[in-house]
Amino acid sequence: MNIDSFHSIILPMKDKLFRLAYSIVREQAEAEDIVQDVMVKLWSKRDEWKYIENLEAYCFRIAKNTSLDRLASMAIRKTGVIDPERENLFFIDHRSPHSEMERKEQRSVIDQCIDTLSENQRLVFTLREIDGMSYREIAEALAISEDLVKISLHRARQKMKEMLSAYHQNE
Amino acid sequence: MNREKIDSLLEKYWNCETSVQEEEELQRFFSYGDVPEELGQYIPLFSYIRNEQSVTLSNNFNEKLQQALETQSKKRYITIRIFTPLLRIAVSVLLLIAVGISFYFISKQDNRPNFVETFEDPNAAMQQAAFALEKLSHALQKSETASRETIQFIDDLDIDWAAIDSLNKTNPVETDSVRMKNKE
Repeated sequence: MNIDSFHSIILPMKDKLFRLAYSIVREQAEAEDIVQDVMVKLWSKRDEWKYIENLEAYCFRIAKNTSLDRLASMAIRKTGVIDPERENLFFIDHRSPHSEMERKEQRSVIDQCIDTLSENQRLVFTLREIDGMSYREIAEALAISEDLVKISLHRARQKMKEMLSAYHQNE
Repeated sequence: MNREKIDSLLEKYWNCETSVQEEEELQRFFSYGDVPEELGQYIPLFSYIRNEQSVTLSNNFNEKLQQALETQSKKRYITIRIFTPLLRIAVSVLLLIAVGISFYFISKQDNRPNFVETFEDPNAAMQQAAFALEKLSHALQKSETASRETIQFIDDLDIDWAAIDSLNKTNPVETDSVRMKNKE
């Protein structure tokens, strides 16, 4: 029964969990690692599944917490180590304001907008727009109220709309 | 889809009043429909969403997961199924041994006082004590004569103590021999 529910409920969620993790850590390899960790953690707790009301929401919550932990440890790692290949470049003033501006242009407006969203807004945006989940499902997955889901999504969409309009007018 | 419907759907979309189905409809329209120029600014949002929807885990994820699960279940098997019963037995045996040893030592502990009589005969004890005290007094006497000789030697040197004192008038050093000389 355990193996069946693992295959029928948890394994099909892998892409959704991956996108959730990705929306937090913003790194492909790190997000994949998180999904694997989550799956292993879930499998090790398979005896407890029958006591869990909503297994899907439970998976999302584990993924969210694991991702946040990972994000914190990533921040620590990043301040500690400088990539030796890039180290040389730090001494050359290669980042002129002009090239910086060009680089920003190249990134999509949406990416920039997503960077400005709060964590909740970003998670809700990912779960709703990309995974197409209902408000109730999102609320359960993130352990927040449905109202907060709606408010976060509303703010995220309004921000998107504003940024897109502003970008359009500047062009 | 006509323009009016799209406008009302978009309005509902920005206000978060659309259902998942309606959002899919919008997505389809912006992806494949004939988007009017005024709405062109919103295309990046929907293409971004479509793009993100196609982002998935790499193909070998299932294999990697399988491996991770196998190593994990192996670890569980060793630690829980084999070691724990053995560990329980080992711990209980160790506990029994420890209790046994401590009982043995507690029962063997002697309750006699630390200070005990070592002499049977009081005369022998007296003799030993007298001998020890004699040795001590002999040593004391020896050191006393030695110090007396030293003082005598210093006095015989006939040092002009007053001259030495005058060198250090503010804080003269008083010694026994100086006092003795003054009295003379």
